[in-house]
Amino acid sequence: MKQKTGQKVQIGLLLLPGILIFGFFTLYPIAKLFVMSFFKWDFGSMFSQEFIGLGNYKEVLSDPYFQTAFVNSIVYTLVTVPAQMLLGLLIAMLINNITRFSIGYRVAYYLPVITSWVIASLVFKYVFNTEGLLNYFLTNVIHLTSQNVRWLDSRWGGMSVAMLLGIWKGIGWNMVVFLAALQTVPKDLYESAALDGAGTLQKFFYVTIPSIKGTILFALVMLTIGGFNVFTSIKMITDGNPGHKTESVLTWMYYKAFSTGKFGYSAALSFIIAIVLAILAVIQFRMMDHNKLE
Amino acid sequence: MRTSKKTLAVLLTTMCVGTFGTVNCSAEEVTINFWHHYSEQSAENETLTNVLIPEFEKENPDIKVNAVSHEWGDLHDKILISAKSETLPDVARLDSAWVPEFQKMGILVPLNQEISDFSETADSLLESAMSTAKIGDDYFGLALNTNTKIMFYNKKAFEDAGVEVPQTMEEFVEAAKKLAGTNENGQQVWGYEEPALSGWNLCPFIWSMGGAITNEEQTQATGYLNSPETVAAIQMLADLYSENVITGWNSGDIPMTDGFGTGRYAMIVDGPWKISELEGAYPDFEYGTAAFPAGEAGSYSVLGGEDISMFNTADKEAAWKFMQFMTGEFAQEEMAKCSQIPVNKNTLESDTVKNADFAPFIEAIRTAKSRPTVASWSEIDSELATAVSAVMNGEKTAQDAMDELAEKVDALLAE
Amino acid sequence: MKFTRKNISKTLTYLVLTLGIVIVVLPMIYMVSTALKPNGALYEYPPKFFPKLKEITLENFAYILSQKKFIMNFLNSLLVSTVTVLIAAFVSSAMAFCIARFRFPGRKFLFTFIMLTMIIPGTTLIVPQYELAVKLKTINSLTGLIPFYVAWVIPYSTFMIKGFVENVPRELDEAIYIDGGSVFTVFFRIMLPLTKPGIASVSIFNFLTAWEEFPWANTVINDDLKRTLPIAISGFFGQHQFTQWGYVFALSVLSLLPILVVFIACQRFFIEGLTAGSVKG
Repeated sequence: MKQKTGQKVQIGLLLLPGILIFGFFTLYPIAKLFVMSFFKWDFGSMFSQEFIGLGNYKEVLSDPYFQTAFVNSIVYTLVTVPAQMLLGLLIAMLINNITRFSIGYRVAYYLPVITSWVIASLVFKYVFNTEGLLNYFLTNVIHLTSQNVRWLDSRWGGMSVAMLLGIWKGIGWNMVVFLAALQTVPKDLYESAALDGAGTLQKFFYVTIPSIKGTILFALVMLTIGGFNVFTSIKMITDGNPGHKTESVLTWMYYKAFSTGKFGYSAALSFIIAIVLAILAVIQFRMMDHNKLE
Repeated sequence: MRTSKKTLAVLLTTMCVGTFGTVNCSAEEVTINFWHHYSEQSAENETLTNVLIPEFEKENPDIKVNAVSHEWGDLHDKILISAKSETLPDVARLDSAWVPEFQKMGILVPLNQEISDFSETADSLLESAMSTAKIGDDYFGLALNTNTKIMFYNKKAFEDAGVEVPQTMEEFVEAAKKLAGTNENGQQVWGYEEPALSGWNLCPFIWSMGGAITNEEQTQATGYLNSPETVAAIQMLADLYSENVITGWNSGDIPMTDGFGTGRYAMIVDGPWKISELEGAYPDFEYGTAAFPAGEAGSYSVLGGEDISMFNTADKEAAWKFMQFMTGEFAQEEMAKCSQIPVNKNTLESDTVKNADFAPFIEAIRTAKSRPTVASWSEIDSELATAVSAVMNGEKTAQDAMDELAEKVDALLAE
Repeated sequence: MKFTRKNISKTLTYLVLTLGIVIVVLPMIYMVSTALKPNGALYEYPPKFFPKLKEITLENFAYILSQKKFIMNFLNSLLVSTVTVLIAAFVSSAMAFCIARFRFPGRKFLFTFIMLTMIIPGTTLIVPQYELAVKLKTINSLTGLIPFYVAWVIPYSTFMIKGFVENVPRELDEAIYIDGGSVFTVFFRIMLPLTKPGIASVSIFNFLTAWEEFPWANTVINDDLKRTLPIAISGFFGQHQFTQWGYVFALSVLSLLPILVVFIACQRFFIEGLTAGSVKG
């Protein structure tokens, strides 16, 4: 505490690399993105950009392709987030109750998480191929359908496969996060609830859920961001086909930027997504706070 | 723990040497980057990397060639991106349909202006093929190879169904319907497969049935892209699709070569590379070839082919040497061996070509037509695919979709 | 009576968990089994989940391993991921330490901003980051990947390690200062050793992030020999409607192996670290 200046210098030196890298490679691009979104910026105007105010934003919001992609991303998030959380929580509770092999189960359920998106997407594409193993199983083995189902060839078919992949890949992460949270719930809470005559379900709703609320919120926020971040799976599985109907907001942003060169449009799109996510995060935090008060 | 750290350190050092060390061994050497879309596991790529480049480097010891393979669509995007970042390669093999677009961006070198011995090299190549690189009075590339598509059919399937090889569009529809159905395993079989819905795929149908994408001057689509003939062609395909007679462009479909080689598609229409591909993947499969079926207007296939172009950031001297080499007799003949149709006049006279299995293609090239040579073609192409896919899925009628599309394309042509 | 009921529910628990695992792991087994099939058998009829024993072949693996470029792709991924992890570990723990322990101007602002950027999906920044990479002339080079990866993982890493720093009793710092130690002494002698589990778990996560990253590497890297593994795998999908799934999955299996080894060796760290931050949240 004596050498105040010396300390300050050292703190500064420790902070410097982080601030430099973070500032240069994250903050600067964010600022740049913001600026770009107000300019007409494409291959035709590569060297001189014209300020067009909210023009890009108007173009994005009125673009039917964007609207489709936006709805897809919303649906993707609304389906995959709760599904992952519920299944992850269920498995975490089951594992929490057992004594043997719990590490083995944890590792196995975590495998999809460490499988890269590219690989997982290709496996799913292969399995859900119209001539793939799944259709063979459904049509020829258990005769559930008389004809092969065209999983990948329609908007909701393609989206469903991507969503299924998202859930499959996300369960493990949720399981681990919830497992840790469950282990912090004091045992005596369950015991006193049992004394009050609470059943399994009541224990779950009145003891477990309130105790791990913080974790639920954390997972909810992280997964919502993840849901809007879906890119590689869609790119690999359908690449937006048929006719850009299975694009997510990010694959559509990427397509506009790197296949048609509409950088201004893409910048505005990115910013819209960032704003939507910020609003969602605030709402989610508010909801949780509100619950706490009650 | 300690040993593993050491191993890691050694590994990292060797990697650094491996990754960064080889780039500039001696300063006088020039390395030119050549981007292409010969697919990674193709015979063409093998020839390029194992025969042509070694030969070129032997002839020009001071020039190294770094050849990079991209997927076709990726190559287009990569060049657009790289133009922005000034990281263009020196030379690239371009789908001739892209040349107007890149020329408009101002990234291609007008060869006739900047290269003194341009005309000698250009004169040794086919004029018709060279015209794909000509915009205004200038040439923005050399023709590298030419191609078109013809029909491939499954001989056994035709015999079994008692179907004659179709020569007209009506016979084609008829045959496709007869060939479609289920095989002895109860699997669906299609009469015809079309792997995508872009201009490369649709134009032969549209043209042969008397339709068009734009007017002659390439300034207007309304009245052409939504003419009764064009709409009829799209409608015909949509009808066949809804009757489960054709397929192929969906994400979940069997890829063309596999589906054809395993008897699931009875007919396909594709370029000369299909010959070597089938040879490699399904050597015992028996197929025949025929001209694209003639519609009311005749039999018009689509003219493909690639140009080799130089970017304005290139090391011009070395790049030109490589372009001359690639269009020279040696390279053209080697590539002809893997079904690339040469454009070098002398090579076309050689025995390799005379005995080549792509003879039927040379016939078809005489009548094949180019897709519109406009700068906005890539965008038009993608809009076309989107519009037709909506028709296929029954969301729009062919007439509505093409009316809307024609309006969009008019705007793109006016840009 | 109670005893048996407990037993039944136990058995049921194991049953459900095992069934779940079968479903979860099935796609991965299918990947491995496909990689072991001869390439021509991929559109066989009827499709088989497992190849027959005598059909099993290593030809796909042999092909992959015989190609110099795939070896390079593997080494590239290893290099990029390792360097990213090392830089990120140092930088993030230094930031986490300072933010957790000291008051300095802009501290709150810095932390809030770091948290805020966690909300923005990384890919949305790809266009301006591309512009930046162009200016820095790091297009088509591995050095164009590393700083961006580090920047991406800083927020999450800092946030996580900060949780670990806060668990270290302040008395330890004070003792060092009283002995005349400096901020550096505290950081290197106390913080780094005591937050090792946290740093380790974050590092595994960062390794995975860099190892599997696709959109950025796909945009920035051009040359075959400079590609990382995910790009190499996606490169099998050519124009000619002809995909060698056997090769695809053989390369996929090979690229999963290191991750699997790292994960199984460090799974205890990993799971601990992943949860430390969230439980408090």
